[in-house]
Amino acid sequence: MNSNSDIKFNIYNPVITYEHRAAYDSIVSQLQEIFPICNQGKCKALEVTDDPQKQKQINDLMEKVESFFRWIDRYNKTFFDHLYRAKESSFQSIFHSTAKIKIDMIERNLLERTCDVRWWALEKSFSDCIELSNSQNLKVRNSKTVASKQNLKSVKLSKLISYACTRLEDIRSSYTLYRDLVIVGADGIVIANSNPLSRKKTLGINVSDEEWFKQALKTNNGTEYFAQDFCKSKLESVDSLIYSTAIRSNGDENGSPIGVLGVLFDFQGECQNVLNDYLPQDEHGITLDGWHSFFTNHKGKVICSNNEDLIPIQSTPDLPKNHRFLNAPGDFIFSNVIFCGVRSLIVSHRSEGFDNYPGLGWTSHLVIPVATIFDRSSELSNLDITSKELLGSSLIPETNRQTFQEIQRNKGDIQLISINGIILATDLGKSGKSFMPIFDQITEAGSSTTGKMEFLLSEMSSDMLGQNLKALENLSKQSIELIDRNLFERAADVRWWATDHVFWNSLSKMDSNNYDEASKRLAVINASYTMYRDLILVDSSGNIVANSKMENRKRIKELNISSQTWFKQALQISNSVQYVVQDVGNTNLEDENTSLIYAGAIIDLGQRSGKVIGVLGILFDWNAIATSILECCSPRIHGSLAKGSAAFYLNREHTVIASTDVINFPVGAKLNLPESSVLLKDGASSSGIFNSNGKKYIIGSSRSKGYREYNGLDWTSHVVRSFN
Amino acid sequence: MLYSIFRIHNNLFGVPIISILEIVRYSRFYPVMGSPEIIDGLINLRGKVVPVINSGLVLDGEKVTPSDDSRIYIFKNNLELNDALGDGFNSEISSDNIGLHVDSVCNVLHVDKQELQQVPENISHPFYSYVVRKNEEFIIILKPSQILNLDIKPTQNHELKFRYQI
Repeated sequence: MNSNSDIKFNIYNPVITYEHRAAYDSIVSQLQEIFPICNQGKCKALEVTDDPQKQKQINDLMEKVESFFRWIDRYNKTFFDHLYRAKESSFQSIFHSTAKIKIDMIERNLLERTCDVRWWALEKSFSDCIELSNSQNLKVRNSKTVASKQNLKSVKLSKLISYACTRLEDIRSSYTLYRDLVIVGADGIVIANSNPLSRKKTLGINVSDEEWFKQALKTNNGTEYFAQDFCKSKLESVDSLIYSTAIRSNGDENGSPIGVLGVLFDFQGECQNVLNDYLPQDEHGITLDGWHSFFTNHKGKVICSNNEDLIPIQSTPDLPKNHRFLNAPGDFIFSNVIFCGVRSLIVSHRSEGFDNYPGLGWTSHLVIPVATIFDRSSELSNLDITSKELLGSSLIPETNRQTFQEIQRNKGDIQLISINGIILATDLGKSGKSFMPIFDQITEAGSSTTGKMEFLLSEMSSDMLGQNLKALENLSKQSIELIDRNLFERAADVRWWATDHVFWNSLSKMDSNNYDEASKRLAVINASYTMYRDLILVDSSGNIVANSKMENRKRIKELNISSQTWFKQALQISNSVQYVVQDVGNTNLEDENTSLIYAGAIIDLGQRSGKVIGVLGILFDWNAIATSILECCSPRIHGSLAKGSAAFYLNREHTVIASTDVINFPVGAKLNLPESSVLLKDGASSSGIFNSNGKKYIIGSSRSKGYREYNGLDWTSHVVRSFN
Repeated sequence: MLYSIFRIHNNLFGVPIISILEIVRYSRFYPVMGSPEIIDGLINLRGKVVPVINSGLVLDGEKVTPSDDSRIYIFKNNLELNDALGDGFNSEISSDNIGLHVDSVCNVLHVDKQELQQVPENISHPFYSYVVRKNEEFIIILKPSQILNLDIKPTQNHELKFRYQI
């Protein structure tokens, strides 16, 4: 039990509700009445009997009564502190995980950008274009002639630039999260871009003084890149987040730098989705007052915010300094301060980056009005759980569970004291009758005070159940969104790679040298990404002619996959923006139990539409990626995984396709979840209680809604937590 | 008259308050080797050794198991009972203090004589004396003297025999 000085939520704290103060007052007034009654009982014992043994028995009972009510009195002082702290602590855990997942979602996205830029820089058409452009510039400088734009545009260069722009446009139409992609010559002049609308304005801009350009030229090989944190660039009117790397001679990853590829990520657009997610909204979809979500950079300046009127970009937010400058990646902090005029809980979490992308030292902040922490949850009476079951469950903090048990025990004690008092009074005959009202009052006061406490505890446990259900809903939403976003990237990758000149060239020439070249190219791609088990090139007859992993080559080259559905569907593709996906299942391409395959068509001469001459298949490392996302979205208490929790994905047949708990929810098992958990609309979430193998769980569920051009595969994600 | 009401396997039972010496929490039974199965064991009540009968086994053969809610009714012995009843009364319950282990204790009820109804014949039982209806529930009033004076033998198949004719 805390000492009085530790009491944070004493009854005078403004957040304590009127009803709770009334309950406190009522307990106090009953206690004030009970002590004189005990005194009266002791006096009466002397009056009604001369038997010292009987007098002692009555005195003992009265002392037990006093001791019981003294316990109530003492406990009442800290009781509300325990109740409110429990709610606050549970809220903190939940919103810490929300703040973390928001920045995580962005960092995962940016990791993909670092892979993208490195791979795209190896495109041969880009290096060809820059090499010619650089040599033109050299000639102009050597002749000491003032270069005019007309002079630079020789016919050949013009053709190469035009093709480079087309290729950049193709990238941008596959990966819709870029505002622009630019190719810059060694002199810092932009020579090609992806956005036809801004082309006139962008080409010819000199970015030689911008950091992203200078640093990209300093990279040592194709594995290195530079991430430019928010800054002004001549390329855009808004602040830019640019990832860049060198374009190397001959498109070789170890060649010397000849220019730069810069990709301008639509950070603001992407952030608006992430920032507004998981914040409560009114019926018009407007985020409720007092709820804010924003990111700051390593300088403590706002880089994006869900409400730019109150928290403008580039401003220093009105936060304690220790929130803006967290020491190390993964650090987090909570504070209770006034923010924009509202008493708020602020959670700040510094990003750890993701995988091998260290991030840029950004911090995610979430602001929640304190009053909402202590709001009553909406009615949960339709759930199949009793108050007693809930109060004994692991959802409730240990302190509150102990309080409940202690109250139960004391309630039993006071009942025994009263009945034994009545037994004693009965023995005293007529004179003992005067004790009856005393014991009646003791019984009444005992059951009323403990009853009030039990009610408050059960109210708190029901609120906490509500909070936990909402948290699991959010986690399931996060896990389905993360996998949708990841698979969007795969869908974009396969479409873009399928247009690579090496692949269509090798399939047109059909000789082993060209196939070896294709295998090398696939190996280079796979080395830039961490999520593929293998990449395979298949000719139109279903023969695997090249792959990225040497160790698989011998085995899979003997396979003909012409009968596989994904291959047959890919052959039907009519243009380069289409792709096919084979849902998670078993395939003879791998030894794994579960494969997830994306495929794009190789179109003759790398055109946007035309004759399909083969198929590119990418074998996604499903188990590893899906399980890692599910683990990241599992419920945590103060950073540790909540006991008895699990997360899993179900396909449209309600079969488990990935799971963090292979004992209770094994992959391949068909689960019989409540209809409310699986029959959801696209993008909808729900929560509830269900029983499985004799265990009771709370469950949060969400259905995929896809992401951008990726439509999703009708999967649902579920996060559960056991009661026991 | 006042009755203390308790629960055995979700049924309500009552005994006259006057027959009770004290009600205590279950703490621990000291088992006695060779004692009949219906005896849970002995308890120490402020120096007195009191045997405790399992009410569940006595009434329907299903044992009452110890829990946080379990209580033990300690019944007065004949001397204590007559002392409490006062001059002119002579009643017998048991020569020794005996405990009765029940699932939980409920409350104390005042029952008027006219509320006591005969137990219907088809559910009659040697230990039932009356039935009382309170609100929507029925309470069986037990005859403690019958339960406490079981002619129990220390056998494993504890065959119950009654000292008194019904």
